[in-house]
Amino acid sequence: MNIVDCIIIGGGPAGMEAANRLTDQGFQVLLFEKEPELGGKLRQWDKLFPDFTLAQDILKMLNDNIASNKLEIKTGNTIRELRQSTDEGNSKEWEVIDGNGESHRARTVLITTGFDFFDATRKEEYGYGIYPNVITSVELEEQLKNGKIEIASNSKNDPNIAFIQCVGSRDEKVGNHYCSRNCCICAVKQAIEVKELLPQSEVTCYYMDLRMFGQSYEELYRKAQQEFRVNFIRGRVSEISPTLENRVILKAEDTLLSRPIRATVDLVVLMVGMEPSETTAQLSKSLNMSDPYGYIASKNSYTADNETQHKGLFVAGTAKRQLAIPDVIRDADAAAFTIAKHLKNGK
Amino acid sequence: MIENILDRLKADIRFQEGLTSCMNCGICTAICPAAEFYKYDPRVICNIVQSRNINEIEQLLKGDEIWYCGQCMSCKTRCPRGNAVGMVITVLRKLSQETGYFVESEKGRQQFAIEKAVGQNIINQGYCVHPDIATYENHPEQGPVWKWYLDNIEELSTKMGAIYKQRGAGALRDVGEENLDEIKKIFEVTGGMAFYDNIEQASQKAAEELGVDFQEEYFMKVYSENSGNHNR
Repeated sequence: MNIVDCIIIGGGPAGMEAANRLTDQGFQVLLFEKEPELGGKLRQWDKLFPDFTLAQDILKMLNDNIASNKLEIKTGNTIRELRQSTDEGNSKEWEVIDGNGESHRARTVLITTGFDFFDATRKEEYGYGIYPNVITSVELEEQLKNGKIEIASNSKNDPNIAFIQCVGSRDEKVGNHYCSRNCCICAVKQAIEVKELLPQSEVTCYYMDLRMFGQSYEELYRKAQQEFRVNFIRGRVSEISPTLENRVILKAEDTLLSRPIRATVDLVVLMVGMEPSETTAQLSKSLNMSDPYGYIASKNSYTADNETQHKGLFVAGTAKRQLAIPDVIRDADAAAFTIAKHLKNGK
Repeated sequence: MIENILDRLKADIRFQEGLTSCMNCGICTAICPAAEFYKYDPRVICNIVQSRNINEIEQLLKGDEIWYCGQCMSCKTRCPRGNAVGMVITVLRKLSQETGYFVESEKGRQQFAIEKAVGQNIINQGYCVHPDIATYENHPEQGPVWKWYLDNIEELSTKMGAIYKQRGAGALRDVGEENLDEIKKIFEVTGGMAFYDNIEQASQKAAEELGVDFQEEYFMKVYSENSGNHNR
């Protein structure tokens, strides 16, 4: 049986980038992707923060590299099992049982199974799936891609649009204590895009803290305020209810003014956070390497962040934690470097 | 100034567990029914308590704010950090009652009316609320139907399956001397009686300072006074 150098599970940006970097160096790679196409969540996105780079441009670069490299790709294939080879004398090898029940062996495995969006129906008080005016940031991105924002209410006035932060993040009630890191800046980006499409709309972001830590994030936040007149209110929304005019009312406290407020709006965008994908959670559990939320815990987040506690098993991207596209690609590069070193040392 | 206010707050389990990690998101105030009408902001109260500023905490104990809460605990259902502001309010109220600071605010002084009405009613009749204390004169909000009900309470109770002030099974029944004795003992052993006494003594002192006759006038004064300065 052929034993490849590396099996990569998950063909999103992390898996694609790592596959390219490993084949660049002459290693034999087998890449699994559960969807019919490579690209992961990047395929759902229109433009990226903070500079409105087209997601498809990044995707094209990754795909072009894939096309010029010689590697085996199995799309539409959800793996069933990942385990250390049980053959005697081969305990350093890994075995993957794919969706068709076929066995594949490799010297190393890289997990790039990524994240899923928080299921907004779990925050029932926000009425997602109940009121047509309440959508998620993922759905808004789809609308932005199509260049048309759908306003469910039949109000004749210029629409009021609200963005709500931290839906499924920083929230004990849904078991996610962590910050998803990308939603703050994503809302700023989307708010600007909404204002570009609907210049007469009133756009307000409800936030707790605006975490503008990345390069050019703070500048984009300022631009949203100065050039696009996006409003920012510091307060977590407690609940959303409908009006007779098919609009919705949201309740919050303007915590900087110490005043409870109600706002009647035509469209609410829930900034859904990130959670480990189903496969990420399954693998982290079955191989006993889960963090408190089901993400895969690396061996050492300071010094061995692409390694796991299992020899020959590596991890990259949002299977570990919440990252943005540039972080994911850098992390995949680092993983390829670490795996190459491991393969060259023959252990 | 009363000593050890902070220590006394921290000693209460409801305080220890009610407020551990506020991030000032304001969702408690956003969901709070009292905050919609009253000059009341549970988030700000959390802030003050977390500041450990004794002077400001003392002002809370002496002020109206802590009495606006309806103890519905909606705050607990929403808090993303698992705090229970309503619990913190309970502890602040208890401390205000124990220190006597409650007499310094209008809403606080109403503690006397509650102790006299609901509090003593438990001891005397075994009920928190009983029609006998809800007189028509003191409860005009009930409307004239309430007067008609009270005037005909015996007949109406029989029709409704209640047994007003009789022994046996049914609503409004006489709970019996032996049970009242037991309730009284529970209140004595657990400190409930001493708590009532404390409220009465502080209120009596307040009545003297205000120049209001404690026996004849003070109850109606605290029951009915309204500065009209409580709403937003």
